Parts: sequence; structure tokens; C-alpha cells
Amino acid sequence: MSHSILSALSEDLLVRVYGFLDPPCRKTWRLVSREFHRVDSLSRTSIRILRVEFLPALLFKYPNLSSLDLSVCPKLDDDAVLRIALDGAVSTSRLKSLNLSRATAVRARGLETLARLCRALERVDVSHCWAFGDREAAALSVAAGLRELKMDKCLSLSDVGLARIVVGCSKLNKISLKWCMEISDLGIDLLCKKCKDLKSLDVSYLKITNDSVRSIALLPKLEVLDMVSCPLIDDAGLHYLENGSPSLKEIDVTRCDRHLKTLWIDGARVSDSSLLTLTSSCRALTELGVSRCLDVTDIGMMGLARNCSNLKALNLACCGFVTDAAISAVAQSCLNLESLQLESCHLITEKGLQSLGCYSKRLQELDLTDCDGVNDRGLEYISKCSNLIRLKLGLCANISDKGIFHIGSKCSKLLELDLYRCAGFGDDGLAAISRGCKSLNRLILSYCGELTDAGAEKIRQLEHLTHLELRGIKNITGTGLSAIARGCKKLAYLDLKQCENIDDSGFWALAYFSRNLRQINLCNCSVSDTALCMLMSNLSRVQDVDLVHLNRVTVEGFEFALRACCNRLKKLKLLAPLRFLLSSELLEVLHARGCRIRWD
Amino acid sequence: MRTKNMETGEDDLCKNNWGSASILDYEMAREDEEEEPNLHVFKASSSCQDNNNNGGQASVDFLQGVKAQAWDPRTMLCNLSFMEHKIHELQGLVHLILGRNGQLQDEQRQLVTADLTSIIIQLISTAGSLLPSVKHHNMSTTAPGSAFHEMKNEDDAEEGENLPPGSYEIKQLEKEEILAPHTNFCTICGKGFKRDANLRMHMRGHGDEYKTPAALAKPTKETVPGSEQMLVKRYSCPFPGCKRNKDHKKFQPLKTILCVKNHYKRTHCDKSFTCSRCHTKKFSVIADLKTHEKHCGKNKWLCSCGTTFSRKDKLFGHIALFQGHTPAIPLEETKPSAAASSQRGSSGCGNNNNNAGMVSFNLGSATNANQETSQPCFMDGKISFEESFSPLSSDTCNFGGFPRSIFDDSFQMLISSACGCSPINGGDGSVSDTSV
Repeated sequence: MSHSILSALSEDLLVRVYGFLDPPCRKTWRLVSREFHRVDSLSRTSIRILRVEFLPALLFKYPNLSSLDLSVCPKLDDDAVLRIALDGAVSTSRLKSLNLSRATAVRARGLETLARLCRALERVDVSHCWAFGDREAAALSVAAGLRELKMDKCLSLSDVGLARIVVGCSKLNKISLKWCMEISDLGIDLLCKKCKDLKSLDVSYLKITNDSVRSIALLPKLEVLDMVSCPLIDDAGLHYLENGSPSLKEIDVTRCDRHLKTLWIDGARVSDSSLLTLTSSCRALTELGVSRCLDVTDIGMMGLARNCSNLKALNLACCGFVTDAAISAVAQSCLNLESLQLESCHLITEKGLQSLGCYSKRLQELDLTDCDGVNDRGLEYISKCSNLIRLKLGLCANISDKGIFHIGSKCSKLLELDLYRCAGFGDDGLAAISRGCKSLNRLILSYCGELTDAGAEKIRQLEHLTHLELRGIKNITGTGLSAIARGCKKLAYLDLKQCENIDDSGFWALAYFSRNLRQINLCNCSVSDTALCMLMSNLSRVQDVDLVHLNRVTVEGFEFALRACCNRLKKLKLLAPLRFLLSSELLEVLHARGCRIRWD
Repeated sequence: MRTKNMETGEDDLCKNNWGSASILDYEMAREDEEEEPNLHVFKASSSCQDNNNNGGQASVDFLQGVKAQAWDPRTMLCNLSFMEHKIHELQGLVHLILGRNGQLQDEQRQLVTADLTSIIIQLISTAGSLLPSVKHHNMSTTAPGSAFHEMKNEDDAEEGENLPPGSYEIKQLEKEEILAPHTNFCTICGKGFKRDANLRMHMRGHGDEYKTPAALAKPTKETVPGSEQMLVKRYSCPFPGCKRNKDHKKFQPLKTILCVKNHYKRTHCDKSFTCSRCHTKKFSVIADLKTHEKHCGKNKWLCSCGTTFSRKDKLFGHIALFQGHTPAIPLEETKPSAAASSQRGSSGCGNNNNNAGMVSFNLGSATNANQETSQPCFMDGKISFEESFSPLSSDTCNFGGFPRSIFDDSFQMLISSACGCSPINGGDGSVSDTSV
């Protein structure tokens, strides 16, 4: 009996076996026996919660958790947090990592409770919490042991809040302040004065000046600095970095500088010289981005190919003068190339793609968006890169079913496929994709006008699909959508904008089957009052909804639908006139729950 | 007006004299009101006429007219005899008290004490007035140009007050005098004023002679004929041990009466005026309070140590300098609407949790996770739609469970009947898998 064999295994052996399993297998593992279940409970270190109701029980069940992800737990709010705090049985003292991204309903009170509760907290992610302001920052600063903090797009955070965090959590060694638009030089200066251990700093998109760079340059341990699109920083600022920052290894100064657009350099300092001198001095370069550098031509790229054979990632987006010759040279000498972005390189044709197919066997990511020269033959060559995981072919109007068929038949590892506005292919191509690329989880088919319900029937077979864009496909009807809904249970993102011919039967099916949907775009859909109410009430994980131009929905319909889901919505897009037609209580509740409404 | 007065060499007797003489004048005016009511008026008007007639001569306004007595040896004599008289009076009063041996009745006692006080005040003021009256005895001979010169010198001295000891005359006012609300008194009715200008305005009501331009003119500073004859006047603080007190080793005199008043209030008095905005800062001089209130609230950059800054960069510099100091976040920032609604939401959620949520969780884990909130909520679903959203019934309001209960049940039935789909568990596990 298998029972006896399994019982012969000691607990530590079971734990070791468990360690080799990947997440889906672990789900099955816990169902084997009580012993297995216990091992799972004890060994599990990370968890992602979808429903706040289960949070205390799960925390109790998994005592050794070190990482807690609450970013997709829409109902989480201050009170839920306080309840956990009051529940004595829950042990959170081992928790090191906490993801509160988009948890907009958690405010200062909840954050302070969490910070006090989880004494060992080291990593916190509060990105995209638009309500995260100074008060919340002050609450979070209670967690003195914090080492990593991600605050991307905390729009209300100002220098004062940053100062609170900086003073409270002086051990920080990684902080991201991307899109925290209120942060100024003063805040950055204080950060650099107080957190001397900082190793990684992201100040992208901030309105900081060279003064900040001067402060940053004084950080003794800084290794990674991201300064994407800081328009006020110029060469003078970068000179500070050249002189200071002894341990700086990586710097991303995308769109900061007129000459160098993007620069990922390993083991070298920033320099402002031309690509040739740069590449000849930095032979160990593994990642280089020169997107939007219109001056970069074949000469520069060939020099790069000659000098930097270790290149793994190359971004040539919008380098319009790069031709097949450059691509061939790069492909031939940089055999380790994993990521290549050629967006809007109009001169590239099948010849360049041929050498890519021949040499770049390790290529995982290829972006050919808006490359007019890509055709079916080019796709045939690309399909030889069998390790491709991410392929973007948006706006390549010259590809048809034939080219797609090659991709579908050979690139079985594909996880992401972007076919935005590839109007040339139809249901047959999609059938090949659905047969070959079973693990596909992101599929963009917007404005592929040839697709019909038959194609939707093929999409159904892609069970792992989580992100699907079907924008502007007029031929898909309710039947097609219900097929997709039944098949793709993991769907989290669905864009149905301008799918005008989908009737209520499709939405009903969606409401019933797609319980994992987090984001949905229903603009210009002919959804009815009842269907909308049903969708909004049944899709219990929906956080982000676009409901613009729904001609068949009345104000009452909106009111009912939004009341049904008001406690979990985080983002909502509505037509502006509804602001005055919806009840004020509803809008108040939405606001209090941290929902951000965009009035179109 | 001022320039004219300066040209004419007119002297501001009043300005320099009022501290000592005004009370005397005031008291005397009261005393003598019945005896010789026309005396001052006559004198003042005559001097005005004089002034008008002989434009080059010293113009003397009515107050100076009153004080003109002081230069006169006769007036001095008068003052002295007045004091003598008063001292006798005082003696009489004290004898009276002694004779009665403290067996005075209430009314009598009040009368006696009032008399005592008034006599003592009169004595002090009169005695004080003797001094300047010696000093200013020949001011009318002042040369027109020297006035300006003298003033300039004074201005210079103001910059760095570095007068050698002995080069100035020290005056020390008493506490009561300093703290008196009024410094200018009407010689006719006795009404007190803070500013001499106000007094001059008031005087107009007492007769046409006070309405002349000369009478209304601002008295210019007193000038001295040759500064060696005339000592600069400086003031001492009556508080013993104070650096501004004349007995202090490093005595630093105060320049004007106003300085004395402000100094005394600021350093030796309670700070009784509290800022109405911050309710923390206190002042003893009203002007200080007003200055502060102008800026109070603008110092919005507050450190955890309580220090406020008017500029953000100053605060951040301060924080960078000190360990453990953080910027304080003002309290009133919380939006009332958000607070109210969150409270409402919390009560709703709390309700949900205690009654429905927890029960449903147990049910859900036991039976079917999909149905977790719907069942119990529907069971006690007596709540009407309107009720659940009205702010009044916040305790019954149940945002979490209620709408779902209606929709879940009705629509699930609707779906199953409409599309004929068999209910399938939509992968609605509570935990999604992530890499460990």
C-alpha cells in the first residue's frame, strides 16, 4: 500500500520533498494526507490572500509565514487589520515581507497597527496606494527595522511623510519613490543624510534637480540608482555621480539626458560620450538601452556588437536608423542575448530576423511592435527561437495566419503574445496558438477584426490565460464570450471595450464563471442594467472597472451595480455626468473605501 | 507742521516732561479747578497769541503753557509749598489713624486710604517735577539750527547706544507709573490717554483755543541750548538686579519711556496675552502678540520637538541636524467626510464581521466557500435597501453583505435558469498560489 510508504517518510524528508515542488503541485500535496497537510502548513512561508475574511484563519494555520501579499485583497481595510490585531491567536511576529500594493482602504490607523504587529517587518510595498500620504507614512515609520520600501505612485506622499519614514526607518537599504510627485529636493536630501545604508534608490519621474543628485552622490553604499525621466537633471548633475558614489553599479537615466537615453551599465560609471567610446570602455556591458536615440545607427550598433559580446538585454526602441545589418551583427556576436526590443525600427526586415532565428537561441523576449518589415517569413525565422517567452507583434499589419501558425507550432514556451491591431490573421491562426502555446497567460488581440466566435472558442482552450484584451472585435458575440468565460477560469484582466455585439448571455456567463476577474473594461459594450448588476455583484474580486459609454445602462442600473461592489472597488471610470446623478452616499462610501473615480 | 516748529526752534517740553510733570499737572488741575479755573486757559491762550504774533519765538502749546509754570521760580516755590502743605495733610491723616487707634469705620477707612494714596502720589509727582524745572529754565533761548543738530545726534546715538556713564541723566520710573494704562491726561477733565495726539484731539472739545494749528501740532523734541548744559536723558528699570537697573554693574540705560514700559512688561511681568491661534505663545506686550498673530499659523513647519519654522527647508535642516527629530503632521488634516464615512464603513464592517462574516466563514469553510457571505446575510435580510445606505442607521448598515445577498441569490437563480449552466466552482479558493 502506498499509505505505508508515505508514512515511512520522516517529517524532515517530507519537508525536503515539499521544497522541490512548485506552487500548483503544492496545492495537490496538501490533499494527500493529514501529515502532508501539516507539512504544508508548517513549511509554507509565503501567502497571497484574496479574501480578507480568511486572513486570521490563514495566519493561524500557517505559523511560519514570512511573506504576506495583500495586494489582491480588495476588502482589506483598517478595520480588518484591527480585528487581526485583536485576535490574539494570530502570530505575525515572523512576518518579514508585506505587500499592500493598491490596498487603498488601509490608512494610517491600519498601517500603524500592522507595523506594530509585525515586529520583524523588513519589506513593505505600498505602491499605487494613492491615498498613502504623510499620515500613513508616519504610521509606517513605526516599523524601525524596515529595509526595503516601495512607495511607487503614492501620490499624496510629501517630503514631510518621507522625512518621517527616513527618521523612523534609518536602516533602509532600498527605497523606491517612483511617481511620488510631491517629493522634492529637500526630501531626497534628508533621505541621503539619514539613510546611509541605502543601496538602491529609485527617484524616477520626480521633479528633483541636480541638488538631489549631489546629495545622492554622497551615499557611500549606493549600488543601484534609477532616475528615469527626471527632466530637471542634466549633465552637471550626472557629474556629481561620477565623482562620488564609489560603489554605484547600475544607473538608469532614461530620458534624463539628451545624448544617452537609457543606460544600464554593470561595473562602470556614467559617461556622456558617444556609444562607440562607451562600448569600447565597458566591455562587460550586459544591458544597454538606447531607446529613442535617433542618432544611433548601424555603425554604433556594430561597434557595440564587436565590443560587448556579453550583452543580454538590448533596447533599441525607436532607433529608426538601425537596419538588418546591425541586428545581424548583434545576433552573431551576442549569443547570450535574452531580450531585444526593436519597437518602431521600421527598417528591419526578414533578413535581420533570419539571423536572430539562427543565432539567438536564448532569446526570451522580443518586441517587434510597429515594425512594418515583419512578415510571415520573418515570423517563420523567429519561431526558431524556441525559448521565446514574450513576443510582441503589435501593429505588424503584414502578418497572416501562416506566420502565426509558425509561432504557434514552435514557440511552446510562450507566455505573452501581443497581436494588437494585427488585422491580417484570423481564427485559424488563433487555433494554432491555442494548440501550441498552452501556457500562454497574456494575450492581446485588440482590433484583430477578423476574429469571430470560432476564435473565441479556441481561446477557451488556453486555461492559464490571465490577461486578455479583445478590444474592438465586433464579430465576437455572447456565445464567444461565454466560451471564453467557461474556459479561462484564471482570467484576471479582460478588456471588452467596443465589443458591441456581445449580448447579455455573454456577460451572464462572465459573471458566473470568471470569479477571478480583477480588472474589466466594458466601455461601449451593450451590457444591460441587469447584466451589469450581476457582473458587479458576482465578480467578487473586481477592483478596477471602466464603465464609460454604456448606452443600455440607466442611472439606476449604475447605482445598483456600484452598490453591489462598492466595498471592493479600487478604481472606477465613469462618465462625468453620472457624478451628479449617482447618490452621494454611494460616492462617499466609494471614496471612504479608497476607490478612485475617474470622471470621463 | 513739524518742520515749521523745528525752524522756529519750538521745544517739546511736553514730550520730555510728561513723565514727571503730567501727573502733577493732572492732579493740580483737579485741585485747582475750582480755585482758578481760568488760569491755564488764560495762560495758554496768551502764549498762543504770543506765538502767533512773534512767529520766530518759541511756540508753546497749551500744555507747555501749563508747564511754563515749572520754569518759573515762583512755580517751583509754589510746588514746594504745595508739597509742604501736602505733607502736613499727610501727617494729619496719620495722626487721625493713630488717634482712632484703628477703630475706624469702613467708610472712614476707605476715605482715609484714598486720601493717603492721592496725597502720596501728588507728593511724588511734584517732587519729581522739581528737577526738570531746574533744568529747562532757559530753553526759550534755543537757536533754531541746533534743534536739528541735536536730534541728529540723538539719532546717531540710537544706533549704538554707547554713552559714557555720567554723560546722561538717569531717570527711574516706579512700577505703578510704568504699568499705568494712560500716560497723557487732560488737564481739564482728567481723562487719560495713551498717546499725546489723542489727548490733543480730545482737548479740542474744551474750547476753541485748543483748535489752533499750534495747539494741535505735534510737539517736537525738546532741544537744549548747547548740549553741555543739557544732559541726555536715559531711563533705568526699577527692578533691582536687572541689567537695565542703574545699580547693575553693566548698566545699560533705556532710551525712552516706551522702552522702559516694554522692557518692564516683557521681562518683569507675567505674559498674560495668549495667542488666539496657537494657544501656546504668550506675551506681555500687546504689540508683540499682534506681531506674532500676523505670522502665527504661517509657521506651519513643525518639528516633533515643538519648534516651528516658517520655511520647509529650515525645518528639514533642523531635522537633518538632530537625531530623532521628525516633522510633525498637523492634526486638522483629517478630512471630516472621510473620517465620518470610514467610521460608518467601519461600523458596517464590524457588524458584518461579528454577525455575518465570522459565521459565514465557518459555514463557508465547512460547506462551500463560494457562498460565504450570502447565506447568513440573506437569513437576517430584514434590512431594506434604503435603510442600509442611510447614514442614520449606521449600525444596521451592512455594505459588505447586504447587496451581495440580494444579488447573489437572485442572480444565481437567474443565471442557472437563463443559461442552463450547472453551478461550477469558479476556482474561488481563498488562497492563490505563489512561489514560496
